[in-house]
Amino acid sequence: MAASYDAIVVGAGHNGLTCAAYLAKAGRKVLVLERRSSIGGATASEEIYPGFTFSSCSYVVSLLRPQIIRDLELSKHGLEIMPLDWTFSPFEDGTSLLRGPDPEMNRRNIARFSRRDAERYPLFGQAMSELGRMVKPIIESPAPDPSKLTPSTIYELLRMGKHFKGVGEEWLAANLKMMTMSAVDFLSEWFESERLIGPMSVSGIIGTFLGIRSPGTAYVLLHHYMGEIDGAFRAWGLQKGGTGGVAMAIARSAQALGVEIKTDCPVAKLLMNGSEARGVVLENGDEYRAKAVVSGADPHRTFLGLVGEEHLDADFAKQIKRFKMRGSSGKVNLALDSLPVFPGLDRDSPAFRADITIAPSIDYLERAYDDAKYGRFSREPFMDCVIPSLTDPSVAPPGKHVMSIFVQYAPYKLKEGPAAWESQREAFGDTVIDTLERFSPGIKDRILHRHVLTPWDLEQTYGLTEGNIFHGELSLEQLAFMRPAAGWARYETPVEKLWLCGSGAHPGGGIMAAPGQLCAKTMLQTRAV
Amino acid sequence: MSRAIVIGAGHNGLVAGLLLARAGRSVTVVEQGDEVGGLCAASEIHPGYTVPGLLHDTTGVRRDVVEALGLGRFGLAFESEPPSVLAAHSEHKGVVLHAEAKRSRDELEALHAGDGDGYIAWRDFLSRIRGFVSDVLKRKPPKLRPDSIAEFWNLGRTGIGLRRLGRSDMLELMRVAPMCAADWLQEYFEDPLPAAALAAPAAIGASLGPWAAGTAASSLLYECARGPEVRGGPAALVDALRKAFEAAGGEIALQSRVARIRVERGAVSGVEFERGRFAEAPLVVATCDPKRALLELVEPGTLPLDVEEQVAAVRARGTTAKLDLALDGQIRFRGRDGERHPRAVVADHLDDIERAFDAAKYRTCPQRPHLDVSVPSVNDTSLAPAGKDVVSILAHAAPHELEGGWTLEARERFADAIVDALEAVAPGTRSMIVARAFASPADLERRYGLSGGHIHHGEHALDQLLFMRPTPKLARYATPIEGLYLGGSGSHPGGGVTCQPGALAARAILGR
Repeated sequence: MAASYDAIVVGAGHNGLTCAAYLAKAGRKVLVLERRSSIGGATASEEIYPGFTFSSCSYVVSLLRPQIIRDLELSKHGLEIMPLDWTFSPFEDGTSLLRGPDPEMNRRNIARFSRRDAERYPLFGQAMSELGRMVKPIIESPAPDPSKLTPSTIYELLRMGKHFKGVGEEWLAANLKMMTMSAVDFLSEWFESERLIGPMSVSGIIGTFLGIRSPGTAYVLLHHYMGEIDGAFRAWGLQKGGTGGVAMAIARSAQALGVEIKTDCPVAKLLMNGSEARGVVLENGDEYRAKAVVSGADPHRTFLGLVGEEHLDADFAKQIKRFKMRGSSGKVNLALDSLPVFPGLDRDSPAFRADITIAPSIDYLERAYDDAKYGRFSREPFMDCVIPSLTDPSVAPPGKHVMSIFVQYAPYKLKEGPAAWESQREAFGDTVIDTLERFSPGIKDRILHRHVLTPWDLEQTYGLTEGNIFHGELSLEQLAFMRPAAGWARYETPVEKLWLCGSGAHPGGGIMAAPGQLCAKTMLQTRAV
Repeated sequence: MSRAIVIGAGHNGLVAGLLLARAGRSVTVVEQGDEVGGLCAASEIHPGYTVPGLLHDTTGVRRDVVEALGLGRFGLAFESEPPSVLAAHSEHKGVVLHAEAKRSRDELEALHAGDGDGYIAWRDFLSRIRGFVSDVLKRKPPKLRPDSIAEFWNLGRTGIGLRRLGRSDMLELMRVAPMCAADWLQEYFEDPLPAAALAAPAAIGASLGPWAAGTAASSLLYECARGPEVRGGPAALVDALRKAFEAAGGEIALQSRVARIRVERGAVSGVEFERGRFAEAPLVVATCDPKRALLELVEPGTLPLDVEEQVAAVRARGTTAKLDLALDGQIRFRGRDGERHPRAVVADHLDDIERAFDAAKYRTCPQRPHLDVSVPSVNDTSLAPAGKDVVSILAHAAPHELEGGWTLEARERFADAIVDALEAVAPGTRSMIVARAFASPADLERRYGLSGGHIHHGEHALDQLLFMRPTPKLARYATPIEGLYLGGSGSHPGGGVTCQPGALAARAILGR
């Protein structure tokens, strides 16, 4: 039987759910279909080891738009983000650098490596927030397409221009400069100590297949500085009960607004009528019809998979194939029977509640990247760790802990091909633990369970093509009106009545939910549903 | 007649001087060396063997600029077409890449089916955007906040030019520019060799490998500016410029090393030479690199602090070394007996180029440098004894800040590595060497006064091009010091033998 809806959303990730919620809020009848038996997609909490809840994939919340939190009353539906405002960077010589909300402490700690840097650090924060504010309007609205000079595009360009009015030519140039610089070059204009530049530069490469010396990474640096929780700029946070709670809150809100969510419903194909999407067919043959289909899956999966190349014009198909996915990171989740130690750190130090960054030097990070360039995982990877169980005891049994380790680089395309990950998964896990052991002696013996996710697993399990956590690299040529394809960055697609609401659409990845929100808004504005 | 002093008798210095002299200024070009030409000056490395200067590639010379200068009257002539480049390989005969793509089709198709058509498609795209790109290169960079009708027009013209490309080419250009050369070229080529050979020029003068974002822009710019070589090479260009300049009443003062650009009340008053001599002038054009001009020649503290900081932040990490060879015979490339090739690129694979830069990153020399080879004696037999060759090689990537410094051993070791790389694609070359002259980035810094030994007066990277070259505040040739202008490769459109920065600086001064 074929039920009929205003819109069917494929994929119950945070973007799909957000899009559905906004459509329902406008009175539309919406169905969300999820392939897996749990919702959330890559925004998931899973009890992979009894008593321990892992945020399997994404683990920190930073870019979630406050407007969405308010519109969908997410706090009422269980969104509870605990700030993660410390950064701890241990070094191999036993020294370490702790940065946090206390400016005086930051000054003292940084001064141990460089007085000059210590003085400049607060100024840098201000400058970045300034730049961040300038980029915000770009994130908050669909990307205008400069190649189509329609009145509306011109209006949007002017509207964006307004945000730059106050700033002089220099500011503008500085901004453009930053868009094209490498994280290291940019930071080196501010700071001299590698102990500061190293750990700071990594937010420029997270999720990209770029090195900290690759041009364009300074911009991503900014992207990560735009984290915003209830208006507080640059703050990062952890969701209570694990990242999955974010998706759960959006889902509850959506359901309260009348959205129907079905899990274990893998969509096989789109129901096509010529060049027009009419609905979807599940793998079990069930059909669902709707006025519009919205895909939360990444561009490759959506167009080359669900739609099928035969329904695309050659040029567009070429553009989608060229759209770089290229996963570069993996995830290791640990169940620990006690809190790890770091040299010279007492157990109540805020460092344990911090974002623990293993990025000891520029060359260390550069070597990690070199390995990836030639098709192997980093022998000494960059790692970004958090121990959520300290701020949120609910995720582990008393006295025990979970540790979430983001690992880069782990190239999807190994020299021996992506499937080789099956045989290299444990070696990869060992490399991560061995490297971590050098910074946190004895951590090996505390491990009760180890859960290793390679880019291959991210693709197989979570449906992220090539394991790319952002649904496509955040490189300059794949942003704004180029995301995912030149001229198709406004959620609409060349396939009539098919819309794109995932991270593969502007403004891109991270638990931001902006693509979902902007997609829904565009659909409603254009009376698509 | 108001006096003007141009610092540096390189091609840009002479062009700026010539334009100013023609506009009625009394111009003196002051040069630290004992000959004109700067990076273009030829030298005899062995009796009967003359090698071109450091910059042996004249394909970037702006025809419109030199023609406007009427250099033809002073003996300047161009070859009939852009030179073909041999993409040499260490195992097979490689391919000859012609500017006229279809002439390379068969060799490329033999290498890998589809690559011949890929090359044609690639050249087609370049020829479609060439007009727009060279129009951008020949004008002073647009102001982002236009404050005059002229500036509005300058900015608007760029936008219009971009839109004139038509929607798909415009979007394609915007897509490609920030990409890495490797990704871009691999969209056209399956075989690693053509991609490597075409990516190599982008690596020159940027401390980046082909996998670094933005390198596609560099190769775009290089290819779009590429034309026929100057007959007789860089030396001939400089010679014509000198004659024209002197004919216009200009003076050249050799062996005059500037020690200080004197500034009084915010305006330039002249230059002091090493032995204390002072020459008064209200107008000074510095064609040395911006760091040298503004941080060394201008007394520290004269410029606003932020300008000093921004200039100090300009990246100029030299990665180019030069090796000149005098051969007792003619170079023969693998599988190319009886063929003569004036230009060759030596890099089997993109990863070879990338690895060369990996080494430089860690301040060491690569085992296998990639080479930009010029054999000028192919076209100009007067450079070497009959039946013999001189070879000029630019080798990458040699870090200026080499771990342990550029000792004699280090220099010998890298020179040997270069010869090995050449021997691999041209067997028998080593045994023909009668003389060799090597220059490390450190040597280049000493010899030519190049900050960081950087041949382009600052790296070619997206954030150091156009209105950001050398810095946003200095991008229009004028400096905060009244009467002091920049006119060298450190300014838009950048390094290489183009003559464009010198010309644009002069125009900025003359208000045209």
